[in-house]
Amino acid sequence: MKIKTIKNRILLMLPILMCNMSMNAQTDSLMFGDKFITNRKMIGIGTTNILDTYLSPEKYTGTDVRYMSHTLRQRQGNRFIYELVHQGNISYIDNRSGDGKEMSGNYNFQYGVHYLFNTWNIGSNQLLLEAGGNVEANVGFIYNTRNGNNPAQARAFINIVPTAALEYNFHNPFHSGAYRDFKLRYEIGIPVAGIMFSPNYGQSYYEIFSEGNYDHNVCFTHPGNAPSLRNMLTFDFPLLHSTFSIGYLGEFQQARVNNLKQHVYTHAIMIGIVKTFKLIKVRK
Amino acid sequence: MRYYSIGIFKKTNISLLILFVLFSLTSLTGCVDEDQYADNPKGNFEALWSIIDQHYCFFDYKAQQYGLDWNEVHTRYAKQINGEMTDAQLFEVLGNMLSELRDGHVNMYSSFDVARNWSWHENYPSNVSDSLITKYLGTDYKIANGMKYRVLDDNIGYIRCSTFEGKLGSGNLDEIMSSLLLTRGLIIDIRDNTGGMMTSAEEFAARFTNKKLLVGYMQHKTGKGHDDFSSLQEQYLEPSTGIRWQKSVIILTNRSVYSAANEFVKYMKCCPNVMTVGDKTGGGAGMPFSSEIPIGWGIRFSACPIFDKNKASTEFGIAPDYKVDMTTTDFYHGKDTIIEFARNLLSK
Repeated sequence: MKIKTIKNRILLMLPILMCNMSMNAQTDSLMFGDKFITNRKMIGIGTTNILDTYLSPEKYTGTDVRYMSHTLRQRQGNRFIYELVHQGNISYIDNRSGDGKEMSGNYNFQYGVHYLFNTWNIGSNQLLLEAGGNVEANVGFIYNTRNGNNPAQARAFINIVPTAALEYNFHNPFHSGAYRDFKLRYEIGIPVAGIMFSPNYGQSYYEIFSEGNYDHNVCFTHPGNAPSLRNMLTFDFPLLHSTFSIGYLGEFQQARVNNLKQHVYTHAIMIGIVKTFKLIKVRK
Repeated sequence: MRYYSIGIFKKTNISLLILFVLFSLTSLTGCVDEDQYADNPKGNFEALWSIIDQHYCFFDYKAQQYGLDWNEVHTRYAKQINGEMTDAQLFEVLGNMLSELRDGHVNMYSSFDVARNWSWHENYPSNVSDSLITKYLGTDYKIANGMKYRVLDDNIGYIRCSTFEGKLGSGNLDEIMSSLLLTRGLIIDIRDNTGGMMTSAEEFAARFTNKKLLVGYMQHKTGKGHDDFSSLQEQYLEPSTGIRWQKSVIILTNRSVYSAANEFVKYMKCCPNVMTVGDKTGGGAGMPFSSEIPIGWGIRFSACPIFDKNKASTEFGIAPDYKVDMTTTDFYHGKDTIIEFARNLLSK
């Protein structure tokens, strides 16, 4: 009885083992229809310039620290690329006299899809053009350390963001090989429509949240009153059996609603690591 | 990773690249920015005048009350500004300019001084004595959340509420009310209470009504113009879900009752069984906002006007039901004229 059971188990495991072997054989290349995910985890440091006339007519400048997780999901041979971005940043900034301090923090989430419009083969290298759209949601705050009744400003918005990306995959110029080891990617997004929270010009948060007095606190935004832009240039390169990425992130968020002006201009150097995963189906 | 090629170079696809470049370039247009004044005496003067001009909420009211003309103020004070002024001299001139607003919520803060106009209480008798309050409280009074309270000899409850700076806890108020439950009436002494949190004033006042009351109106600026205001929004006082006081209450006031404490008096005057005794309150009916000028001095000013239930401003104070001043004779006899007057009222 026991021998029969062991025999049956070995017979059952054989196809699984064979399947596993064939999968290992496929990890080196991508087949049509394979789903793969490229995730870029980066940390950044840069300078930021923040204006929020609800808190002060003065501009505050200082250091910005951020984290970004940028994921692209695509299926080999399929022109659609799904994008998922989580981004968080904090900054500690001061005014030109040095007598005032502000702290700012934000979490930004983006999800959307790109369409791979075209691929140009330039020699053995490749240039790709993608374009599409994302939905962006952001929550955050700016805290002015010495303001009394208006010490903080809440940030919250949702935007529809057309995005476009150019990607250039190229060989190691010093060691040409079969794989395109290096990648330059430039991605840009410009919000075209959205809604954002804003107190009115001289409205206190006491009125909004304690008294429940609404006064145009949800504002429609468009490039006319909120011309904004986020762009990022990254350079991926292999090093020590991993792929690293270094890049520049430029974020220009602006709004002019309820007679209040806001801007956040950030330039940051980003560094991180890139991982590419291939998803396989395992049938049990 | 090997990439799967899905196209070849076509002339028509150049248009896509051009579109991409245009997409990038269009985003570079349109800056949302604010002109900043120079950090010199002239720039700081103009910055301060503009901040007040664009945000202050009582120009019309004060023009009616005493003829304030902010443009005329600019003309008059601009002559006193010159490039060789020291910071102290500049501070004095700017402080004097702010005093033209006659507003206790208008201040300028530097590292060496605070510019203020406290004429709302400095020009009047204080009508309060810490020594006498200490005598009435004795030493066996209780303290809950900053409020001192006890039962006086004639079985009248006495609460000394000197500030609304802290958040008043519902539990604390329940304890205080329970402790004074068997008294004939209640005296709430808010003399010299210069305010704090409006929510604390509301929390306390909510103990003295059994129904939702319209207690006033408030509005805010919607733009830079002197007349740019939102519509008046009703302020309601909701009855507390905790213990509510059903007997007579007397509020003791003086000229130093200001801001949130002034609001408390406004709320209480809408409640039943409430009388106010003492001097007129100091006022301060504009919820303040903060800003700053290039030199780094902080500015505070009234931004949101608040009105009573008759839509009248309480900026310059609320008159008491019984105007009573402290007398020197009573003081020397160890008696607080205002407390004694309130005790007599409750004893009737």
